[in-house]
Amino acid sequence: MSKLSEKIAAFGERHPTLYKSIALSENVLKKTVFKCQGCGQCVLSHNAFTCCMRCPKQIRNGPCGGTRPDGHCEVYPERLCIWWLIHKRAAKLGRVKKLSKFHIPADRRLENTSAWLNMFAGRILPFELGKKSRDVNLTKKDPPSIK
Amino acid sequence: MVSKSNFELLLNQGSFVVCGEMSPPQGADKAPILKKCAYFKDYVDAVNLTDNQTAIVRMSSMMSSVFAMEGGVEPIMQMTCRDRNRLAMQSDLLGAAAAGIKNILCLTGDYMTFGNHPDAKGCFDLDSIQLIHTASELNKGRFLSGDEVKSPPGLFIGGAANPFAEPFEMRIIRLGKKIAAGAQFIQTQPVFDLLRFEKWMAAVRDNGYDQQAHILAGVMPVRSVKALINMRDNVPGSMIPDECIKRMDVVKESKEDSIEVGVAMAVEIIKRLREIPGVKGVHLMPVMWESITPRIVELCDLLPRPVPASGDDAL
Ligand code: SF4
Ligand code: SF4
Repeated sequence: MSKLSEKIAAFGERHPTLYKSIALSENVLKKTVFKCQGCGQCVLSHNAFTCCMRCPKQIRNGPCGGTRPDGHCEVYPERLCIWWLIHKRAAKLGRVKKLSKFHIPADRRLENTSAWLNMFAGRILPFELGKKSRDVNLTKKDPPSIK
Repeated sequence: MVSKSNFELLLNQGSFVVCGEMSPPQGADKAPILKKCAYFKDYVDAVNLTDNQTAIVRMSSMMSSVFAMEGGVEPIMQMTCRDRNRLAMQSDLLGAAAAGIKNILCLTGDYMTFGNHPDAKGCFDLDSIQLIHTASELNKGRFLSGDEVKSPPGLFIGGAANPFAEPFEMRIIRLGKKIAAGAQFIQTQPVFDLLRFEKWMAAVRDNGYDQQAHILAGVMPVRSVKALINMRDNVPGSMIPDECIKRMDVVKESKEDSIEVGVAMAVEIIKRLREIPGVKGVHLMPVMWESITPRIVELCDLLPRPVPASGDDAL
């Protein structure tokens, strides 16, 4: 992330009202459109614009071994397996290759914070094997939570 | 340098490996483990010790693995992500390695509502692929945080694969991710549908994954048609062809005949699996029927079990 985006993020985080309005609009938008679960480190663009945190096991490298033959979830048979849906949409959009990317463990400090500003602030690691959560600089303090 | 497990040495030297599986007892007595060990010792090369399988509380897989070693059996400790966070899992892996456990199998784990504590909070801090990655980092001498591990554990790391669940393409992608994250061996869900398994293995070979990790096919001997139907209807992600059910169904009146057909089916499946290129061994899952293991292994002409060639870094 460039210095400019970091500055924007820092500015947003210095002003609680501004931060809240950005975070809340992101939250409302993503909740309505993608049923966002507020993980604060968005992987929508990797997963055919379908939120994988809706999986009951919150698997970021899914699907688990229990997807039913009709594509439904092993835990909630009345729901579609979210990873089945991700794959279907990715196939339609020509984005299946993106699904072979490894996703590092989620940074739980970022729950209920703005994924947009986290991205600007450089808090979200590239999804590469071997990256360490410690590498992420949570600057002076954790980002404000909107919960 | 930590010495390699027998299981790993056998796979590396190209022997056709046989694994078993047992679930730890639902109590604080280790005697059931030692009793089951007798069915596996000298008949299989390593035995999986399940970790609160189907979300039912049992003795810990780590301590059960230690008791399995007492019983003369090499353990493969299963570890699920359901019950522990990344701190607990890393510390358990270190403890397990120090206790002499060398093989681990990393799983995401069955959801809590399948078991006897449906009201529990699930952890799922990591998923199985991230756990494989974590174990492989520990082997390299690094914690997830990046801090140094003083004596790296040298674990032989495994993952699971389900060739029978949808979507098929994702099953191959995910296998590739597991191997890239550090899985050295793969155990599959029990095979009943050989055609589907062959299709999956062909895709595995096309991607060269059989060269990058040892693939062990799951085999579950069953002794009643009820067990088969229960599996088909209640175990999501399983695929059981109607012929298997029909074969067991015609003998359902007689317990002895059911056992004979169940054994014959398992033996046939193992013989066919041995002929599939890229399959390095079988993983027997005689759930609640561990005592049948010696007979099946013998009928498959897999006795005596091989020993690793000396000269390697075996003890
Ligand atoms: S921020 Fe996280 S929870 Fe929200 S949509 Fe993106 S991936 Fe899903
Ligand atoms: S079936 Fe799909 S949505 Fe359900 S737990 Fe497994 S991966 Fe998650």
